[in-house]
Amino acid sequence: MKILVSFKSVADPNEATLAGAAASAAKSVINPFDEIAIEEALQIRERGDAVEIVAVTIGAPAVEEQVRAALAMGVDRAIRIDDSRALDPYAVARILRAVVEKEVPQVVIMGKQAVDDDSNQVGQMLAGLLGWPQATFVSKVEFLDNKTRARCTRETDAGLEVVAIDLPAVITTDLRLNQPRYVSLPGLIKARRRPIETLTCNELRVEVRPLTTVLSIANPPKRAAGTRVDSVEELIAKLRQEAKVL
Amino acid sequence: MDFTWSDQQKELLDAVGRFASQQLNYNMIENDRDGVFNHDAWKKCGAFGIQGLLVPAEYGGLGMDPLTTVAALERLGYACKDNGLIFSINAHMWTAITPLVYSGSEAQKKKYLPGLCDGTLIGGNAMSEPNSGSDAFSLSTTAVKKDSKYILNGSKIFITNGPVADVLVVFATLDKARGPNGISAFLVDKDSPGMDVARKLEKMGLRTSPMAEVFFENCEVPEENLLGKEGSGPSQFTWAMTWERGCILASAVGSMQRLLERCVRYAKERKQFGQPIAKFQLVASKIVDMKLRVESARHMLYHCAWLRGHGKSAYLEAAMTKLHISDCWIKCCEDAIQIHGGYGYMTEYELERELRDAIGSKLYSGTSEMQRNIIGSLLL
Repeated sequence: MKILVSFKSVADPNEATLAGAAASAAKSVINPFDEIAIEEALQIRERGDAVEIVAVTIGAPAVEEQVRAALAMGVDRAIRIDDSRALDPYAVARILRAVVEKEVPQVVIMGKQAVDDDSNQVGQMLAGLLGWPQATFVSKVEFLDNKTRARCTRETDAGLEVVAIDLPAVITTDLRLNQPRYVSLPGLIKARRRPIETLTCNELRVEVRPLTTVLSIANPPKRAAGTRVDSVEELIAKLRQEAKVL
Repeated sequence: MDFTWSDQQKELLDAVGRFASQQLNYNMIENDRDGVFNHDAWKKCGAFGIQGLLVPAEYGGLGMDPLTTVAALERLGYACKDNGLIFSINAHMWTAITPLVYSGSEAQKKKYLPGLCDGTLIGGNAMSEPNSGSDAFSLSTTAVKKDSKYILNGSKIFITNGPVADVLVVFATLDKARGPNGISAFLVDKDSPGMDVARKLEKMGLRTSPMAEVFFENCEVPEENLLGKEGSGPSQFTWAMTWERGCILASAVGSMQRLLERCVRYAKERKQFGQPIAKFQLVASKIVDMKLRVESARHMLYHCAWLRGHGKSAYLEAAMTKLHISDCWIKCCEDAIQIHGGYGYMTEYELERELRDAIGSKLYSGTSEMQRNIIGSLLL
């Protein structure tokens, strides 16, 4: 069985607390949910259910640091789709469909969402484009029937939902699926000597243009400070006149 | 001298920081209070590659140059708050691994180094004795050759990693009359007949680094465990100590940087008399002192490592580096506590522990007075 894992580079969510005031420009890391996807693929290979793991990401040459991190974790091959545009989920899904058609994996695993834009759409859209089954928000994966089907436990608001899906399929990972291994220095050094395959949208014969345009990004408005009242009468008056809730 | 990092070095240092901050900082206060060695964190550090930074790749290490190695240890000290764990790693690297790399036989290197690198083995060094500290070569533990074995007798004290070590580099004299030239080094495995790790020693700081008193009573050591030649103890010890002095406080530079950043944040946030305490010049002045200390310490550390990496003698520089960084570290910790006021004195703020951890740096690897003796003797 061949697994394709897709991942996104995002600004390190731990950076602010790590380096504090002296932190330089935010460092990039593999999106934590995608890191869980990579770990799951590695564990599937380690228990003998997969023979090859191919990792794919989309981005400028700078994301190769995260590609090497994926190689250092233990994926067999890595592909970078060279595209530095800010792509929306549909564009990403269409590019990934082209990669799937080229690589022909039995399973595609990715994080349920990226921690930067929280779109939570690529996995679903990719499954739709391919006409494949999907299991999203997965916290457990097992393969059945000579690896023709997968039993996946999904984390939903109603509780743990167990579904069986036919392969090939798309699986998106939730937080509790596993604890990703850390990249070791020997792994990192070895990863430097390994090739990173680079492809372009042209080479994949896929033309994407954004369907969504981001107009602005801003911090949520700060909550105004509360006021202290001296008496119950004053409180009631304020609730009546200012808050107009009474 | 060029201390700008290449992209590869940056990637490596970032990996150290990420690993250390995510994997090693737990149960800090409890482990310090109870004197618990974090064996799990030790294994993680080994698997990650810390212990083997300097060791040639053929023996399971990374074969890093000295400058990259101290920078990695500096980053470890920045991101990991367990100074005791780091001290144990340092003792292991400089006093067990380094002598093995320097004077171990091929068989000894193959037997011990891979495990010492990957975290499965813990090493230590047994030099100090109850009556032989700064005057290290006056030791009285004896070794006598008998058939294919050496028989060791004597006692050693302040043995870092003693309670958990799998192998100790033990110094003993074959002939007291020959003075330093009678001293040899031996690799002694744990559970060797006649070796007794007598008691774990309680101490002020670095409490997560276990320390013991070790006794040898007719302890049998196979002759193939002689490290280097008979009588080569002093040159091995001096060589290892020069490495240790130059590198052991790399993590202290990281710790100082962490304290500085924390104090800068706190001084801007904490308000008294209607303004952030950073506005008070007496507070700002302390922060300036901290900055000067961390920068000067870092430059001495890098310079010393750079000399080593270029095959130059660093005997003087290692002594100065050790003396200066230990002094800076303790003062930085005091200032950090002072800037935090009463909070800084509280255990939960994790600053008083840092000071207790720092104090030992004026004692181990040669006291500050011994470093001054070395520097003075080279100047005068």
